[in-house]
Amino acid sequence: MRRPLWIPWRWWRRAAQLVLLLLFLWLFRRTEYGSSNELAGGENLFFRLDPLVGATAMLAARQFLAAFWPAALLLALTLLFGRFFCGWICPLGTLLDYFHRLVRPLARTSNRYCEAKLPQRAEETLRATRYVLLLAILVAAVFSVQLVGYFDPFGLLFRGLTFAGDSHLDRSASWALERVVSDEAVGDWQHWAREEWHLLPRQGQIFQLAGLSAALLGAIFALEFVARRFWCRHLCPTGAVFGLFAARTWIKRLPNKVCRACDQCAVDCRMQAHRSETDFLNQACNLCMNCVDDCAKGIVQFRPKQAKPSKGPRRQPVDLSRRGVLVGLAAGVTLPAATMVGRLGRAGTLDPYLLRPPGAGDEPTFLDLCIRCGECMKVCPTNVLQPTMLEAGIEGMFSPRLVPRFIFEKSYCEFTCTLCGQVCPTGAIPRLTEEEKHKQPTGKAYFDHALCLPWAENTPCIRCEEMCPTPEKAIKILRTFTIKGPDGEEVEIHQPYVDRDLCVGCGICESNCTLEGKPAIRVVRVDAADPGTETQRQARG
Amino acid sequence: MDRRQFLEQVAAWSAGFSLATPIFNVASVMAADVKPQENPLLTVAKGKEYGELVTRALKPLGGIAAFVKSGDRVVVKPNIGWDRKPEQAANTHPDVVKAIVEQCLAAGAKQVRVFDRTVNDARRSYNNSGILAAVESIKDPRAKCVFIDDKRFVPVKIVNGKSLDEFEFYQDALESACDCYINVPIAKHHQLSKLTLGLKNAMGVIGGNRGKIHKDLHQRIADLNLVIRPRLTIVDATRILLRNGPSGGKLEDVKVLDTVIASADPVAADAYATTLFGMKPEQVGSTIAGAKLGLGQMDLTKIRLVDA
Repeated sequence: MRRPLWIPWRWWRRAAQLVLLLLFLWLFRRTEYGSSNELAGGENLFFRLDPLVGATAMLAARQFLAAFWPAALLLALTLLFGRFFCGWICPLGTLLDYFHRLVRPLARTSNRYCEAKLPQRAEETLRATRYVLLLAILVAAVFSVQLVGYFDPFGLLFRGLTFAGDSHLDRSASWALERVVSDEAVGDWQHWAREEWHLLPRQGQIFQLAGLSAALLGAIFALEFVARRFWCRHLCPTGAVFGLFAARTWIKRLPNKVCRACDQCAVDCRMQAHRSETDFLNQACNLCMNCVDDCAKGIVQFRPKQAKPSKGPRRQPVDLSRRGVLVGLAAGVTLPAATMVGRLGRAGTLDPYLLRPPGAGDEPTFLDLCIRCGECMKVCPTNVLQPTMLEAGIEGMFSPRLVPRFIFEKSYCEFTCTLCGQVCPTGAIPRLTEEEKHKQPTGKAYFDHALCLPWAENTPCIRCEEMCPTPEKAIKILRTFTIKGPDGEEVEIHQPYVDRDLCVGCGICESNCTLEGKPAIRVVRVDAADPGTETQRQARG
Repeated sequence: MDRRQFLEQVAAWSAGFSLATPIFNVASVMAADVKPQENPLLTVAKGKEYGELVTRALKPLGGIAAFVKSGDRVVVKPNIGWDRKPEQAANTHPDVVKAIVEQCLAAGAKQVRVFDRTVNDARRSYNNSGILAAVESIKDPRAKCVFIDDKRFVPVKIVNGKSLDEFEFYQDALESACDCYINVPIAKHHQLSKLTLGLKNAMGVIGGNRGKIHKDLHQRIADLNLVIRPRLTIVDATRILLRNGPSGGKLEDVKVLDTVIASADPVAADAYATTLFGMKPEQVGSTIAGAKLGLGQMDLTKIRLVDA
């Protein structure tokens, strides 16, 4: 193929990368409450382009998820054109390319960094890693253990940006603004940055696991010091899926080996798709097109012609040996077994305070469908949705849970809000109307009479009753009586109780409970009080 | 990196981090000693056009010009506490707010700010109450419906407070930052305080743990009003919430009265609004506590009532 419009291919690629990165960031910004409870849609597009999360969710939950049609389309295109996704579309890949440019000056002063190639032994050892990882993740998913959150590039990027990047950006920008512009103008600047130009989130958020999320994402960038696109070449399991589909593409590179006179393209290749012992590797090539632009003889091209494969051992293999397959299978089987031991260790009971988002259904199905993408936590206007740490085992890490009172008075599930279900790519949190949501409680509130002021200390309060959002209040008054106050005046005491038929488990009572420290009312899982439920049996494994 | 460079870097980073620590503004504002009138004027206007009701209610009081002077920085403080729609009667009616803001602008206010520290999520409450859109529809850069900035609460000493001696208040609502504070509560049911009216609306400009107020609610509400002294109270009783307040949510609990009450006396406004629920002013603790503190007149026989 000729360079279109006489513009070098790499400029087309760079333009596409920039546009799609901006699209990713634009969708990231739009994943928040603006002024309407109905989002525009498409916020989760990049996750639905990811065949890995689609496959694991479908395998684990044994459901067909039509929402992943963009990923299917992408796989079909990969069969034709190869692994172009990694070079042209993936926002993480684009950021890694930018990061490389940023740190390349370091490589000039010291040649230890940023080389395209690793030492031969390291290359050979690492070659199969991404496929082994992919296999392990898929096999574990068959056993209903979702490990995709640890390795999925979009999840790592989105969570890193949400939990750490954005909240830090918001705070540092506000901090800087307050010192640069006058006191009166701060509000205008913030309005401009939040509402008009969307440079900052409309509402700042805080998350637990921010440090870990930043560290995981940072590690991917740090690996760029070891070698270019280290993550993409050796670790990314989504890239491995595209690599498998790209192994026998329709569009192939010609020539399919390195010329005798010159091997500059092989030296420069950021994906190290050239190897001395084999033909050009379509499964590695991300179609950056630099070799087409840079070939001194101008002979490199990608075309739909059948390149003559070399005979004998110069065939094009997938970087996966029999031993690699065995390791992947073994890991995929062992990890679910290990999590089962963990569940036994938790004595088969779920943490009673592990509250899942509205409509999430039973715990095992929720964990199967949830791909730990972080969309729901980003969109949550009250910041009540937080990533789970180890409360649901290592397999539940990064899945969303409600933490009422995470921010005192602010974190609870908003009665009229249904945003999390609108952005969930897999339906782990279903799309609900307001009425449907109210019929699917996230938990039920329980009083601690030893702490509650009217019960324990004859002190007026009923802040919880004031807050309760159900049209007929779920917190009711059991008893009202008067006592003599310190000045001899009459003080009226109301002792509250929860009508659990009406309670929706939103946690606004817990969040607003006057006591500073332990709240006197807490929301508990619906099934936690009844050990005989289906969820509990399944949790036992 | 040699020793000198290392020490320089350590110094630079530590300086950077120590600059990053927040700075607190501690202000102490003395409560203004405003003497309430013995026989305050109170107007009641009824009608379907809520914007026009405001104009009518203000007329016997001397119009908005009696309260807002040209060049004033005005705060209009409605109740925007809840993520509810106007017809659910949990927040002040947007038409009432809009009319007041327009009047202030017409009187030559330099700036009119509308805000409330919400209970539910602020963005949702501002939007679903209709108040944000109502203020923005005026399209005047002087009028702004702004979100509360948590960093702008300052501790204030409450002189003469009986149950509170200090609390955090919103800087922009204090007399140092506002020349005219107009209180625009909605009349609603509330289990603990019986009713939530004008005096309780001050809860929307205080910071910290608002739940603490509930331990001695009536007196503490009155104490807060020693600091927040509205020049004008306009009670929105266009529709009132009879049960399941203050959040509501059920239309059966809402009663449409098409009424707006205005007075310069915050206690008188509350005292009269109580009668709309078929109750006596003495049944609402904060009204009694407010009157005892000398914030206003609660004796209905001493209030000059005008049908506007």
